[in-house]
Amino acid sequence: MAVEPAHASRSRATQASLRISLLMFMADPQWLIPSMIAPVVFGLVAFELFRGAGPYFLTYAILGAGMMSMWGQTLYGSGWAIGQDREFGTLEPTIQSPSPYVYVVLGRVLWNVVSGLFGGAIVYLVVVVAAGSPPAVPDPVGFVVLFVFVMFTLASVGILFSAAWVYTRYSGFIQNVGEFAFYVGTGCMFPVVLLPFWTNPIALIFPPTWALDALRYLSIPGYVGFGWGFWPDIAGAVGTTLVYILIAGTIFRRVERHVLAKGNLSEF
Amino acid sequence: MAGLRPLSPMTNVPAIETRGITRVFESRKGFLFGEVTRTEALRGVDLSVETGSIFGLLGPNGAGKTTLVKILSTLLLPTSGTALVLGHDVAKETAWLRPRIGLVLGGERGLYSRVSARENLRYFADLYGIPTLEREERIRAVLERVGLTESADRRVEEYSRGMKQKLHIARGILHRPQVLFLDEPTIGLDPKSARETRKLVRSLISDGVTILLTTHYMFEAEELCPELAILSKGRIVARDTVAGLRHLVGGDRTLEAEAYGFEDREVETLRRLPGVSKLVSEEYGPRTRLTMRLRTLETTTDDVQAALPGHSELAVRERRTSLEDVYLDLVEEEAA
Repeated sequence: MAVEPAHASRSRATQASLRISLLMFMADPQWLIPSMIAPVVFGLVAFELFRGAGPYFLTYAILGAGMMSMWGQTLYGSGWAIGQDREFGTLEPTIQSPSPYVYVVLGRVLWNVVSGLFGGAIVYLVVVVAAGSPPAVPDPVGFVVLFVFVMFTLASVGILFSAAWVYTRYSGFIQNVGEFAFYVGTGCMFPVVLLPFWTNPIALIFPPTWALDALRYLSIPGYVGFGWGFWPDIAGAVGTTLVYILIAGTIFRRVERHVLAKGNLSEF
Repeated sequence: MAGLRPLSPMTNVPAIETRGITRVFESRKGFLFGEVTRTEALRGVDLSVETGSIFGLLGPNGAGKTTLVKILSTLLLPTSGTALVLGHDVAKETAWLRPRIGLVLGGERGLYSRVSARENLRYFADLYGIPTLEREERIRAVLERVGLTESADRRVEEYSRGMKQKLHIARGILHRPQVLFLDEPTIGLDPKSARETRKLVRSLISDGVTILLTTHYMFEAEELCPELAILSKGRIVARDTVAGLRHLVGGDRTLEAEAYGFEDREVETLRRLPGVSKLVSEEYGPRTRLTMRLRTLETTTDDVQAALPGHSELAVRERRTSLEDVYLDLVEEEAA
């Protein structure tokens, strides 16, 4: 009898992907250095920008700069990770392996969440050092938990970007055009309610908008935001994130089928 | 040793079977509304490869070899037709097939160059679900087999082209596939690396795995493949053993006569010599070469010299019809 092949495990595929992402990141100064320098710059700029703007300006500065740093790292990085696979020519052998590709993407996204949090931590330290004291956060544990959750909402958008990268090498175009529009539109630096009203429904399509609003409700007493309160924000964030993950899971298989039909996996 | 996993000899299913495979690529010139160009890479390929054999696929650049390999290895869908590997449809049963097939595309790309060979192999071992307890031993064994043990922990970007090729092969065999696709495994390698790679491929054959090898190096196909097919412009123009293909193009023996031009009547005289099945005239600068394929032993170099009197610079030689002759004859016929 022929020996049966080993069974590919989804969790091992995700772990392997996370590990290779970490190793590639550590090996490449192109990523390592900016990911440490950019949060320092963002932190100092946000500190100066919000200085004196009310009693909770430190929290505003940390959230603004932290999100700005993590935005690129988590969302942009998740899409670009697949772009890199195209560039390296590793997309073909990875897709040809028995592990469903979406679990490999998940590993890439998780790594970007971790590195995004690292950037957030640097921002926190920079702002605290600049201010000489930590910000007054009413619920520090809830703040950290929600902060991590915001990362996952960003990652859920990142997975969809990743699917676009599998679909076509021209996805960089979408990301480059959309990066700052998404960044401002989802309220990373400033609350979305400060933007023209017509932008609000568009912003609410994105999970991070809800999660960030919830984070501000939690950490800034008296914050008004969209006006419907903390828990509706949480429900909206969870709901939209689940929808994004559901869409990603559904379209990944179709995207893979489409690229096999189109034959553009080796293009970069 | 990191042995491959041969199929059970009990099975009668061909390892690879294609029926009327076609593949059309569409590309658009310009942005959005540009003109769409259609390229027919494969035009009805029928192929059958027995289990446990090594089969060569010869063809010039752009013949469709890589396209066919990508279809068979589940990386590309055919436009029409059916392709079965181990009796399973490559377009519909990818989940069943992928752990059982290996693909070596080769080249400079396809590896994580900033990490070591060992880390590259760990990554793919995990994607193939190789048991964690076996993983390191399996990696050690394949690295030893391809001769990369010493440099296993060096970054791949420091590797030579030949070493990268070996790593591609190591990755291709790490999960012990039943069918292995090797797409031009020695292209761009220096002679020493190419020889080492061929030696490695020969060792894989002895494991009993089915191998489909594409190449455009004739000597490589002749050395490695008992049976082969010639692919030209997306169609298989011939399929046989090397001896069978020689017969197909007019015989085992080739006689060449070279001089500063021949008259038409001399060419006709040679054409009528016993056993001459084919005669081709080619110009090389001021000189002309007449190449004759012979099915029998009757005509010799002396007969040719006797038929071409008065040429002071005449050179006549006999050689065995090479696979390159066969290939050029068939590809040129197809082009014509």
